[in-house]
Amino acid sequence: MAAIRFSNVSKRYASGQDALLNLDFELESGEMAFLTGHSGAGKSTLLRLIMLMERPSRGQIWVGQQDLSRLHRSQIPYLRRQIGVVFQNHHLLFDRSIFDNVALPLQISGYDPADAARRVRAALDKVGLLAREKHNPITLSTGEQQRVGIARAIVHKPRLLLADEPTGNLDPQLSEDIMRLFGQFNQVGTTVLIASHDLSLINRMRHRMLTLRNGRLVADG
Amino acid sequence: MARKETPTQPPRRGAQQHRIQFADRSRSWRRHHALVARQALVRLRQTPVASLMTLAVLAIALALPGFLFTALSNLQTLTSGWDPEPRIALYMQTELSDQSVDSFSRELLLRDDLSSVELISRDKGLEDFRRYTAFADLLDYFDHNPLPAVIMVTPLSSDPVQLPLLQAELQALPGVNEAQLDMEWVQRLNAIIALAKRGSYVLGGLLAMAVLLVVGNTVRMTIESRRDEIIVSKLVGATDAWVRRPFLYSGFWYGLIGGLLAWLLVQMALLMLTEPAQALADLYLNRFEISGLGLVGTLSLLATSALLGLTGSWLAVTRHLNEIEPGES
Repeated sequence: MAAIRFSNVSKRYASGQDALLNLDFELESGEMAFLTGHSGAGKSTLLRLIMLMERPSRGQIWVGQQDLSRLHRSQIPYLRRQIGVVFQNHHLLFDRSIFDNVALPLQISGYDPADAARRVRAALDKVGLLAREKHNPITLSTGEQQRVGIARAIVHKPRLLLADEPTGNLDPQLSEDIMRLFGQFNQVGTTVLIASHDLSLINRMRHRMLTLRNGRLVADG
Repeated sequence: MARKETPTQPPRRGAQQHRIQFADRSRSWRRHHALVARQALVRLRQTPVASLMTLAVLAIALALPGFLFTALSNLQTLTSGWDPEPRIALYMQTELSDQSVDSFSRELLLRDDLSSVELISRDKGLEDFRRYTAFADLLDYFDHNPLPAVIMVTPLSSDPVQLPLLQAELQALPGVNEAQLDMEWVQRLNAIIALAKRGSYVLGGLLAMAVLLVVGNTVRMTIESRRDEIIVSKLVGATDAWVRRPFLYSGFWYGLIGGLLAWLLVQMALLMLTEPAQALADLYLNRFEISGLGLVGTLSLLATSALLGLTGSWLAVTRHLNEIEPGES
């Protein structure tokens, strides 16, 4: 079954610029793929369409069984709860501890606090930051902040994990560590789609690669 | 650093584990309400000066109509002692002996159109005059008691047409110098009170709008300052209700605490009025105790305040929360 399916999807902004043009592809459940291309090629737009942060101008998108064009605004939160997202600028909240940042998705989904605490610690352990749970994320390095963002994205064990330039500001060693982390999540069944322009790193990972150029899918494989 | 799961497990087991039961959901809903209510209160304390200023404005806006209502209902209680039964005062001719006045009043008791008859003898009148008025010295100029005996009668009927007829009838009785129907000024006072009440409704309405605006604006600023949190929460699947909740609670607290402060202001103002009001009542031979908001008044003041706070924040939240969507960042 497809985890994500794009059918003839286009996105044109009000300015008249085409961010995506006639996109057709499927990502199988349990698959891991990279989304690559120059900046402005449409990588972020594609991820935002999956999250329903934006709606396509044309075409249809399925996430799992769900046809996103039929999804009412009030149902969007429940779609997002099935997806974990790692943002380029990691979107951490500096008014609370690392633990509370990671706990946010669980709190929103209504987990029992004790259960949530267990899962948060497991997620923080996975990214190697368990010892820092009480700190404020502002005290962390960029790479560590990125890992907190990853812990928050996977804490509720989403079926689908999206990442937008997760290694954008990191040195090669850290980047590789983080990519390996994504690989581990994929090995336990999570579908993973990572937007990145770090071609040398991606090539080493030997996963499927979707290449965008000016909003079109120019290579898949 | 990773906690490996055994590869034999089917890949989707993780997602199935995460299904949340309905009972859990309702429990977590209540838990979130309690948590958010507490956090909203803590947030008010985190900016004490700004919160106190807002609360002071709310308290004053809520106290004004509260005070007016209380004052007016006190005035109504005060007049209700006189009002519903119009009385006719029969001023007797001063030449009549005490004895004949007394027997005249006994005869009045037999009438079936009067519900009560009260005789104020000349001596009693003189005594009251000395005690309750500032003109006691005047009496020294007289070598005899100048006051007439007065018989206060309460007619059974309070019909405005019947009363003047009865008044004329009583006036015509032998020995009666003058029969005075003391109803008109009470009616006039009641009309004024009714008008003032209507006015305080209008004032109350205007001040309620002020409360809505103050709370709305305060909540709007809170929303702005928590923009990042709203966006992140929406991105990880927060519903509109979830995002709205903390702001509704801060509006609720603003209203409720503002209402409590308003209650305090009203009670203090009434306390300051107690003594002069008592003196005034004494002057009119009336037993009168100023009453505060009372239980019902207090509860409705608090309920109205909390509701206004809630409504104000609701207006701000619905207006501004939809503008903060992750897509636009």
